[in-house]
Amino acid sequence: MESHKEAQPKGEFKCQLCGLTAPYTYYGQKPPNTRSIVLLEESYVMKDPFTPDKDRFLILGSQCSLCSRSVCVGTECSLFYSKRFCLPCANDNLKAFPLEIQEDMDKKKPQPKSFPSKKMDAKT
Amino acid sequence: MPSEKESRPRRPGREPSPAQWDWDCPATRRRLEELYFREQDYIRAGSEDSRNFWAFFERLRRFQSRRSERECEPAVSRGPAEPPAASRLLDLPREYDARYRINLSVLSADVEGLARGRRLDPGPPREQLSEFRMALLHYLDFTQKQSFAKLAKLHRERAALPIAQYRDRLLRAVAQNQVVVVAGDTGCGKSTQVPQFLLAAGYSHVACTQPRRIACISLAKRVGFESLHQYGDQVGYQIRFESTRSPATKIVFLTEGLLLRQVQREPMLPGYHVLIADEVHERHLHSDFLLGVLRRLLPARPDLKLVLMSATINIRLFSGYFGGAPVLQVPGRIFPITVIYQPIPKEEASTSGKSERLDPRPYLRVLQAIDHKYPPEERGDLLVFLSGVAEIGAVLEAAQTYATHTQRWIVLPLHSTLSVTEQDKVFDVPPPGVRKCILSTNIAETSVTIDGVRFVLDSGKVKEMSYDPQGKLQRLQEFWISRASAEQRKGRAGRTGPGVCYRLYAESDYDAFSPYPVPEIQRVALDALVLQLKSMGLGDPRTFPFLEPPPLSSLETAVRYLRDQGALDEAEDLTPIGNLLAQLPVDVVVGKMLVLGALFGLTEPTLTVAAALSVQSPFLRPAHANPDCATARRPLESPHGDPLTLLNAFNEWVQVKSERSGCSRKWCRRRGLEEHRLYEAANLRRQFQELLRDHQLLEVASSQPSDSYSRQSRHRERRELHRLWRSHTETEGRKRKVLRLQDGAASSSSEEEEEGGARGRGKRSIDIQDVKFKLRHNVDELQAASSSVLSSSQLALLKLVLCRGLYPQLAVPDQLNSSRKDSDQIFHTRNKQGVVLHPTCVFATTPELLQAKEGSECGGTQDSKDGLSRHHQLLAFVSLLETNKPYLVNCVRVPALQALLLFSRSLDTSADCARLVADGWLELTIPDAEAALRLLSAALQLRATWEKLLNQKLEGRGREPGRQPSSQDVSVLTRGLLEFLQIEVLYSLRRLTGLEKQVLYIGPQTVAAAPRLPGLFQGTEMKPDEVKGGHRVTDYLTYNCLATDTDLYSDCLRSFWTCPHCDLHMPFTPLERMCHESTCRPPEAPLEEAAGSSSKTTALHRLYHCDVCQQEFMFTPTEILRHKKQHQ
Ligand SMILES: [Zn+2]
Ligand SMILES: [Zn+2]
Repeated sequence: MESHKEAQPKGEFKCQLCGLTAPYTYYGQKPPNTRSIVLLEESYVMKDPFTPDKDRFLILGSQCSLCSRSVCVGTECSLFYSKRFCLPCANDNLKAFPLEIQEDMDKKKPQPKSFPSKKMDAKT
Repeated sequence: MPSEKESRPRRPGREPSPAQWDWDCPATRRRLEELYFREQDYIRAGSEDSRNFWAFFERLRRFQSRRSERECEPAVSRGPAEPPAASRLLDLPREYDARYRINLSVLSADVEGLARGRRLDPGPPREQLSEFRMALLHYLDFTQKQSFAKLAKLHRERAALPIAQYRDRLLRAVAQNQVVVVAGDTGCGKSTQVPQFLLAAGYSHVACTQPRRIACISLAKRVGFESLHQYGDQVGYQIRFESTRSPATKIVFLTEGLLLRQVQREPMLPGYHVLIADEVHERHLHSDFLLGVLRRLLPARPDLKLVLMSATINIRLFSGYFGGAPVLQVPGRIFPITVIYQPIPKEEASTSGKSERLDPRPYLRVLQAIDHKYPPEERGDLLVFLSGVAEIGAVLEAAQTYATHTQRWIVLPLHSTLSVTEQDKVFDVPPPGVRKCILSTNIAETSVTIDGVRFVLDSGKVKEMSYDPQGKLQRLQEFWISRASAEQRKGRAGRTGPGVCYRLYAESDYDAFSPYPVPEIQRVALDALVLQLKSMGLGDPRTFPFLEPPPLSSLETAVRYLRDQGALDEAEDLTPIGNLLAQLPVDVVVGKMLVLGALFGLTEPTLTVAAALSVQSPFLRPAHANPDCATARRPLESPHGDPLTLLNAFNEWVQVKSERSGCSRKWCRRRGLEEHRLYEAANLRRQFQELLRDHQLLEVASSQPSDSYSRQSRHRERRELHRLWRSHTETEGRKRKVLRLQDGAASSSSEEEEEGGARGRGKRSIDIQDVKFKLRHNVDELQAASSSVLSSSQLALLKLVLCRGLYPQLAVPDQLNSSRKDSDQIFHTRNKQGVVLHPTCVFATTPELLQAKEGSECGGTQDSKDGLSRHHQLLAFVSLLETNKPYLVNCVRVPALQALLLFSRSLDTSADCARLVADGWLELTIPDAEAALRLLSAALQLRATWEKLLNQKLEGRGREPGRQPSSQDVSVLTRGLLEFLQIEVLYSLRRLTGLEKQVLYIGPQTVAAAPRLPGLFQGTEMKPDEVKGGHRVTDYLTYNCLATDTDLYSDCLRSFWTCPHCDLHMPFTPLERMCHESTCRPPEAPLEEAAGSSSKTTALHRLYHCDVCQQEFMFTPTEILRHKKQHQ
């Protein structure tokens, strides 16, 4: 009934691995109206579309710290461990991660179908 | 970053908390909330979020304590292992901590400072603060993951829709062609995806039409959701009473009817770049008409794109209509469905054929079959297609009994007359081991999609309004469905997995079904369509290039009807009132009432009646079934008829709402009223009010509270209402409820009671409908309008207004009604004999109100053989509905003589005017010929004045006040009409027999017995009537054309008569007398006096000053003569 002003989309975020697209309203580490929260990476952020609270945000994705490709935060596309790694990069550097992370990655291995081989060729 | 330092890795559970620390203590939690969940923080104290957090926190602590017990030792040995060299390459932290997996952090320097500096008490210990903050981070991470998972799921689902593969092809086709047809079956996703594809490709100003309002809302919500904008922003909808359109709106979902209205206002539709017409295969009247209108528009708007969306039915028709537009065919997504033909056995069919009630046995057998064949763990609901609400009722009752017995079913009805809340129930999920059995009309065929249906039971029947253009009679009839509908129904079983479709007919029946449903344009009244077509300047409806032309007879009937109603003139052009009616989205009859009511200052009650008549009756059917309900209803019932009962009900309801708003729901339930429809009526009423204002038929209201205090308090109230509304809409996206076994709809009213009660006990006991109502309406204004009691003269006028609006929809009581039982009363309309009153009608229970019995004071003429009475009455009715019997719906009673004299399109008289025939079917005989003449003469004058003022009102709209009918003229007319209504004269009323109708007129005469006073009658020339004989006095009155077996030359017989006005004394024929009287009528002179005259005076009483006795009298002309004689 009432329309309150909302942030206009800045552009469209697209995950280069899974193709997920969504309009983002903010890129950076300090989304508006979230005083006490900071992001630890430069991220694509939108207003959380699944809650009516207009101050809630949703982090869509960011750039892989190694290959700079835009990837979504989905666990099948990327991993965050103090920085963002796209899964191809993470797999290439698996040994660099603590065992806890490596175990998690191994668990995911059986379903590599979501990463078509042509997308695996990115190098560090 | 300070937070980094604070959140140094720490193994949970290692250091014991101080003994006094208790996470579960409310005070502890409050202290932490004060620090972290402040007004400006991401999570606010007391919010849903903070409750979720604490629940999460408890789970987290449980999880951590379990893990620390389990992993204590190995964790220590593994933890500080030498980091691999590679990790330094990536610049990763030296030591593993789960915290590094979280990509956000909570800043809290200010918080910590606050905690220590503010109070004497030391605040929470550092360790606990840190633990709390870790939990908070995990919680935030968790909510992010949750929301992102939803986003990813949405994306996956959209990508999996068949239409997704056609995105590029569609966009190419739209770019290259002006018209594109998208043909795709259920489940291909066209309705939700095509609009989004177009938006994403950069198109804006998109309108997407839907046949149903409900689809507009749900699609706008869905598309808004999928395109991840809050709805109301870029995606909006517009339906009759509601709009979420804003300047930011890029796509709007609206009904076909509404888009047609927009074409009417702006023929080029400048506001749109792309039009999507969805579900065109359903062939609704508006849809077909819209396509016709758009086909004409396209050449003039080469930049406009049109996308037609249809099921894969009859695609060639649409493509061909638009010059061979390209077709994009998208396969549906459907699982295999097994069809089982189970025709109803002959013996059952024949027994049920006679009784009016549907035999539920074949339906129960399918329920049983499902129970036998499929284990309850295998989920899957049953969707039953029935022809109508009555059939749903019959099966509901039986299925309910079966369900109670087996505890394996929840039975729910679904049809459009249910309230939205009731309809919503079908989307809830049954508990494990229980199936939903949804009993639906064809609403579930296309417009409502229910997930989880595995079984479909198809009766093969549908009830549709059919229209008999000859009788202008609407019939609700049962038909076999078409093969296309049967396939559509079947398809509903295969949306989520393989399904089964039971058909209660034989395969040979199926083969005999017609391929497609009959388009609506072929089977409904076309009045509104013709009116709209005329007002769009589209010329002769008979030659309009429809997609498939309607029967010519329907068009002819519509044109004739509009002419009868005064909306079209003889040349079939719009009259001023027709022009206005074309702009009102209501039935012609209702529109006329509104205009007429405005003339007499009866706008408020007319608005209410018009609105109440335009929605479904709020009175639920079985009032007699429940005596309490019938008793509670009685005070609302008006002895004048249903429209006035509706007026009473609405007004009372508004009073209840404004005085004790929370109670209105209960108030309605007690009286068997469907409140939803009263809300609809209130909305419609407001829309009518705005329409009247827009068309300058109603002054702009200036009823704002004048003083600043009341303005402020009104403002405060509205703010509070908005808050309630918002908090409702925020929680509205509720999850599907799990149904309980007792949720089956045994009786919807008791169920609602339960629901209301449960809500009352909960924390939010607001009635959201009530909130909406108050936001939408100025309740004070509405209350003021509905609290004024109509005076008896206002009531009489209102009835006259209704009757003129409804004319010629009149019914006459059968002459033998007084000797019939209450329920057997019979009526006749001009075209239909032997109709009965609808059971909800006031007169169905109190038929004595209609009997023309004389009161005892009138000299006991009751039941006289000659049928003479002063009180014959007619029923003006809103509609004639044929189900198993023809029913009169919404009747108001009116005095027969006056109504016929005032409204008949054709009045034929005998030479002495004592015998009159109205509209060629009702004969009035007035033994007192002199009285007859007086009445006729008065009626002529009233009609002329009324017509003149009405035209002034319509033509003078928006002009300077001088062009408006003067209030004096209006009050003169008002008084005239009231006095006319009070005239009492004995007369008989009779319906002519077929034979009599054939020999009614004398026909053109060779020897013209022309009256010798031509041109005297109000300046109109009297011409011999070429068909009927006699002479035409006005366009409706033909004098002396009735065949009579007594005296053909009576019109030439003159008798001496003294004119009461000019005292002229000479021999007159009746006609000459009438002419003279009408020209000689003194101007407005006696009217001031009439105001003060007692109610006994009639239109014919006037002030008479006797020169002889120097006194003034109120005399009728006869009395004047008599008085004069005294002095002679
Ligand atoms: Zn991705
Ligand atoms: Zn990478």
